[in-house]
Amino acid sequence: MGLADCHFNILKSLGLRIFQAVLTVLGASVLIWSLLPLTPGDPALRLLEAQGIVAPLPQEIEAVRHDWGMDRPLPVQYFQWLKRILHGDFSTSFQSGKPVLNELGKRLPCTLMLAGIALAIALFISISAALIAASYEEQWPDHLIRALTQISATVPSFLMGLLILYLVVLKFNRGQIISGGQFRHVWLPALCLGIGRSASWTQLLRANLLEMLSKRYTLVAKGRGATRLRVLLKYALPNAAIPFLTAVGVGIGTLLGGAPIIEVIFSWPGTGNFVVESIAARDMPVIQGFVMISTIIYIVMSFLVDTLSELMDSRIRIKGGV
Amino acid sequence: MNNKYNSLNFVQKNTGKIVRRTLFTKFWGIRSGRAGLILALFLLTVVSIGPVFVEDDPNAINLENKLARPSTNHWFGTDNFGRDQLARVLVGGRTSLGAALIVMGCILIISLTVGIAAGMAGGIIDMLLMRFVDVLLALPSLIVALAIVGVLGVGLHNMMMAIIISSWAYYARLTRSYVINARQRQDIIADRLAGISWPRIVTGHILPGVFSQVIIILTLHLGGIIIDIAGLSFLGLGIQPPMAEWGAMLSGSRLYFARMPWLLIIPGTAIFLSVATANLIGNALRSASSTEG
Repeated sequence: MGLADCHFNILKSLGLRIFQAVLTVLGASVLIWSLLPLTPGDPALRLLEAQGIVAPLPQEIEAVRHDWGMDRPLPVQYFQWLKRILHGDFSTSFQSGKPVLNELGKRLPCTLMLAGIALAIALFISISAALIAASYEEQWPDHLIRALTQISATVPSFLMGLLILYLVVLKFNRGQIISGGQFRHVWLPALCLGIGRSASWTQLLRANLLEMLSKRYTLVAKGRGATRLRVLLKYALPNAAIPFLTAVGVGIGTLLGGAPIIEVIFSWPGTGNFVVESIAARDMPVIQGFVMISTIIYIVMSFLVDTLSELMDSRIRIKGGV
Repeated sequence: MNNKYNSLNFVQKNTGKIVRRTLFTKFWGIRSGRAGLILALFLLTVVSIGPVFVEDDPNAINLENKLARPSTNHWFGTDNFGRDQLARVLVGGRTSLGAALIVMGCILIISLTVGIAAGMAGGIIDMLLMRFVDVLLALPSLIVALAIVGVLGVGLHNMMMAIIISSWAYYARLTRSYVINARQRQDIIADRLAGISWPRIVTGHILPGVFSQVIIILTLHLGGIIIDIAGLSFLGLGIQPPMAEWGAMLSGSRLYFARMPWLLIIPGTAIFLSVATANLIGNALRSASSTEG
């Protein structure tokens, strides 16, 4: 296969992936839009209730229905909604009356900070733990790390959060329960999220490293006199990293969507916390906007991960043209 | 053929007796499988008949006796409303574990139905169903569950429905691929040649194999279902007060952990044990089935 063919294949599969991603976003948008008409009860009535109007007059309901376009046929409503979304208009929150995008945007920096630090912690823990476990295979450091990953895969993140909260904040008086989203308070929730993520990542990377270490090319490297560390880092790690990075990419997608449970436990003022409040208040535009944005982030991340791993791994590239 | 015979049955070393190796005997032969099964029986027995032996009403508020330490009257102490923790953790277990098993059963039924329909019908029905499944799979499942609870409103049944809707798609796709594989099997082709109708082939020859394959993968996910139920209940999106549920118990008393760590430890241990049990059984089932015949 010539180099030109190879480039053509990459472009073709890239185009195909973009097309698939756009279709998926469109499909998801239909599902997410349909949340509003599917909600039991009259949406106009709920909108008024959310604004604190208890017993609205029929004319008032009619007026709201007309203003929000709820009196038109459903497909028309969908395309109007999609058009507004494409212009960045996610309509206004039932509760506060402010644009949903502003409300979410206000809380996004907090979620991004939490996700970023959590990701850094998870990457640090999983890469170092997997390297240690793989280089001491079937010795005590490996057994210890495997036992720890097994345990932390069994402890749900909210339980971990509550334990950390109890031990660190209440027993040792470090950190704070109520945080205003400042940088110095991000460590505990980030640690919690990071530990939760790192368990499966460690298991994955360890397994891949061991697989690479059993391959012949690493044996050749050893035979040529490379040190154990060099074989591990220079020969095994790059190839073992590809499936690991795929998992990490998908993990970033979910992290950026907000971690409602951890945000609630540490009263972290991010988007996840906000959406839980909105669910309790049945503030549909906020829920729709949040779900739509998280979904787009998630799909874009999956797309990036697929493309990146294709570029990195020639085996997928050749097959990926189809 | 001889090989196949040997892998299904093995000759016991000392007695020379031939023992048939079923999935269960292999499962029982794995240490974690035995431990998981015993733990599961223990947990299910305790939460199903346990509440009968506890006289305290799990929802009875007694403010004079709130945040009591464990004693002979209240083995696990009382919470911030003076409710007996033992009674609540047992009754809450019925909710948590019962809900998890029901969710698992519903996912199994839906995904088997959709997967078999798609795999057997083929053509346009298959394409439409699988495109729908693809879109669902492309969405982050926690976000989907939150959105559905947002639409339906909070409550135990709505939350269970949300978890079912956000997680059936993967198993439907799995079922479909098993069905498509099974259709090309020699025994199925032989059935066709013998003139057996498709409905009979599906129920008699395809379903049993597909069923066991899907249920093994689903058991690996049972721990995740238990965590999802407890997590969403913790957020207040599941069962509503004063009813007990492990996640809801944790969120209800989280301001009092400093004075009463029991309020954290007991429901927390219950959740941990259940998830660990589910994982033990799931992993053992997977190993048992992967070494089968």
